[in-house]
Amino acid sequence: MASQAHSLSYSGCNFLRQRLVLSTLSGRPVKIRKIRARDDNPGLRDFEASFIRLLDKVTNGSRIEINQTGTTLYYQPGLLYGGSMEHDCSVLRGIGYYLESLLCLAPFMKHPLRIVLRGVTNDQVDPSVDVLKATALPLLKQFGIDGESFELKVVRRGMPPGGGGEVFFSCPVRKVLKPIQLIDPGKIKRIRGMAYSVRVSPQMANRIVDSARSILNKFIPDIYIYTDHMKGINSGKSPGFGLSLVAETTNGTFLSAELASNPQGQGAAMLPEDLGRNCARLLLEEIYRGGCVDSTNQSLALLLMTLGQQDVSKVLLGPLSPYTIEFLRHLKSFFQIMFKIETKPCGEELKGGDKVLMTCVGIGFSNLSKTLK
Amino acid sequence: RDILESKAVREGGKPELLQTDDSSDSLNMEKSLTRKKATFTTSDSGHCTAEEAFASEDEPEGNSSLSTEEEDSENEEAIGKKFLKPSQVVSSQKLGSGNLIDETSDIEDLLKEEEDYKEENNYSTETSGALKWKEDLSRKAAEAFLRQQQTTPNLRKLIYGTVTEDNE
Repeated sequence: MASQAHSLSYSGCNFLRQRLVLSTLSGRPVKIRKIRARDDNPGLRDFEASFIRLLDKVTNGSRIEINQTGTTLYYQPGLLYGGSMEHDCSVLRGIGYYLESLLCLAPFMKHPLRIVLRGVTNDQVDPSVDVLKATALPLLKQFGIDGESFELKVVRRGMPPGGGGEVFFSCPVRKVLKPIQLIDPGKIKRIRGMAYSVRVSPQMANRIVDSARSILNKFIPDIYIYTDHMKGINSGKSPGFGLSLVAETTNGTFLSAELASNPQGQGAAMLPEDLGRNCARLLLEEIYRGGCVDSTNQSLALLLMTLGQQDVSKVLLGPLSPYTIEFLRHLKSFFQIMFKIETKPCGEELKGGDKVLMTCVGIGFSNLSKTLK
Repeated sequence: RDILESKAVREGGKPELLQTDDSSDSLNMEKSLTRKKATFTTSDSGHCTAEEAFASEDEPEGNSSLSTEEEDSENEEAIGKKFLKPSQVVSSQKLGSGNLIDETSDIEDLLKEEEDYKEENNYSTETSGALKWKEDLSRKAAEAFLRQQQTTPNLRKLIYGTVTEDNE
């Protein structure tokens, strides 16, 4: 499958996940050169190596070649195999780093994916598992990926630097995806949140909730922020706390924001009150940006639109993130798909920042790996 | 007639108030100038706006080194200008700058130049009617379209680089 297509060549360490995921889905090999070639510590980092190992686990017959310094990577993708497995993620990045890519790949496996991921569930860089659960899963459901076995569960919470969290993710497979027409985000109907605290006083979570509500209560009455205090073995290895907020609209769009405390021994101590207020403001910012897809999931939505049936898909997004812009370029080089991009200035009915209407015709990707029953 | 004149004087008086912050030596001259102006502007009273006063105010500043003779000519010039009725600030500014350049040159030339301006001004006053907005509607539309095109960035081009439109 892969041998016919000629390989794509890139240089630099940026967007490694995007390139490897799209390579796996399109079957085109990639060669990435000059990975931190001029750095004092050249080559792939631990978390990237862990990501490549994860890709190797979920696929069958992949060929991965890395040179001695780790500055050059050749990846020839195999078939997406899936099945039950577990993976120890690097604690340098959150589980979200790995899960984002798995969300792109999981619907196209041969066997439904059931995976246990261990590592850091909530950190300051990657989208946390809570946010992905609240925003990415409903998005996948829009594309027809649904079922009882579709779940994402935080078994144990782990904060950096120690980690020790555990997440269970299972996803059914689909032969084809439904095209989507998400052009009206609707109005905010409720706000839900999760304030968590591990290895600190359980009162921290309550303080976060109070301060976040002090801002959000002015806008909407339907707010509920759960507190989640995990104890013992379920609390991971490092102390910390944080908040994730999700706003749901009348049309089933989920917009999210999150903040986590500084890792132990890094940066100044953070007051839970400040964290709660800032997170509430971030949510307001996200709502201002708006669109039918949360800014963290823009690229996921665009990928699934590309891989859909040969039908027109439309989605209204907020301002495109730099990651999404690069993802669009990669979609063009891997799948020869170019989106129609129309800017929609905030008019009468569209409040907030400028919106972008993305339109494309799916390439009619069908899951060849899936066995017919 | 009388009413018109008095009105003109009053209006001529208004600019004086505005000019009080000017240097005192030029102020006296300016006062007489405006008085004269007022008397001369009886025919077109009701159009003597502050703009004009400000425009004429520039002149003594620019020509402060001029002799009294020249100042007299300046007065004449101002009067002439009144007849021209330069209701546009732009044109009178042009005139001022022209004066600066031709400070040493002949007065006749200056006046000639003003004849040129007169024609231009007359042209503009003719067109500055109630139907002025109807001028060049297609050009205005084109400009508005281009402005709109420039303010809303072509995201497709930004993302994919230069592409042909029917590439999809």
